[in-house]
Amino acid sequence: MRFNEKELVFLSRQPSERAAELGMRGPKKGDVVKRRVVKLIVNFLFYFRTDEDEPIGALLLEQCRVEREDQHAFSIVFLDEAERKYLFECDSQEQCVEWIDAIVKASYEFMRKNLVYYRTEIHRLTGKDPLEQYGISDETRFQVNSGLPPLPPPPT
Amino acid sequence: MKLNERSVAHYATCNSPPDKTGFLFKKGERNTAYHRRWFILKGNMLFYFEERESREPIGVIVLEGCTVELCESESEEFAFAIKFDCVKAKAYKMAAENQAAMESWVKALSRASFDYMRLVVKELERQLEEVQEEARSSQAKSKPKKHQPQVQGAASFQPATFSLQNAAITGPSQEGVSSRENGVSWSKPTSVPNGVSEGCVWEGDCSGRGDVVKPPPVPPRRKTNGGSLDSPVSPGTGCFSKLHNWYGKEVAELRIEWLQSQ
Repeated sequence: MRFNEKELVFLSRQPSERAAELGMRGPKKGDVVKRRVVKLIVNFLFYFRTDEDEPIGALLLEQCRVEREDQHAFSIVFLDEAERKYLFECDSQEQCVEWIDAIVKASYEFMRKNLVYYRTEIHRLTGKDPLEQYGISDETRFQVNSGLPPLPPPPT
Repeated sequence: MKLNERSVAHYATCNSPPDKTGFLFKKGERNTAYHRRWFILKGNMLFYFEERESREPIGVIVLEGCTVELCESESEEFAFAIKFDCVKAKAYKMAAENQAAMESWVKALSRASFDYMRLVVKELERQLEEVQEEARSSQAKSKPKKHQPQVQGAASFQPATFSLQNAAITGPSQEGVSSRENGVSWSKPTSVPNGVSEGCVWEGDCSGRGDVVKPPPVPPRRKTNGGSLDSPVSPGTGCFSKLHNWYGKEVAELRIEWLQSQ
């Protein structure tokens, strides 16, 4: 699948929400933990070799689940291939918790849900649709009743 | 650069509703003719498929750091381009089938970035806090025991309490235990406005009023059968607004109970 790599690399150089050097292990059998600089920018997680400008790779953080692995580590699995885990080792429990929180909140779909909540709640309290003044109340992406079907249950 | 392509492609075709779909002509990258492709816009990702029925996208354009402009084309009417800020970036030239489609796509694409969504969310969050603050201060002026279900329930209902997990509806203190599927959990993105930590919704409400009424109990945490997103005590998570209306009702009922016991 083609993607706009140059633009994505450019994105990886922008200010990040959160960045740190963590231990990272890929999802393939035989992958080992390596030190990587991990940067969270919008809904992407970029990972670099230390002191390198160009990222080795990027993970789009949509349709994924973040799990605490133990005291200092967390994993990301993507719902379409839940056997494959990306593991991240942090330096402290606190750092681990902060990263999990940041990644969960980094998805576009997460933001959308919050928006729908705020919009509905403001409308309920005031009788007014807060998006009307911006002329964007009809935008598909802001619709309340997008009728999302239930997510599939997580694989056990 | 590597990308989790399979999962990205899965995002395109998974069951979350797209923001826009339709046919557009896209100027080829090697072959400079315009090809008719099926486009799916989801979040900040614009996927394109060979055919409407194709299961896998040919490609995706990440819509961050770009602008969408109308353009003059000798060969195509209703042409527009997606242009990126970075040096040596290419412009993706597209053409719609008619004026209305062109305008609709240009609008949708220019609002597709993550940053734009984040801006709107922050603005609404701020507005909600204002409205809640107003409700709280007008409430403080009235007798504390007077029951005003509409305003009270609304003012103190914060989403932080009800973060939806996979298998269990747990409070925010159980950090080490639960996993959070980012498609499901929707705890408050930034800190609670009254400066109170996530778990103390009701206390926060009280401190704003400055009177001596004790806070009502935190709603009971419910454990569901492991593995299922459809908890036996709540409606299916299919419709978000239904779900939060349901929780809102529950909160209001609990408040009534508590007020009556005072």
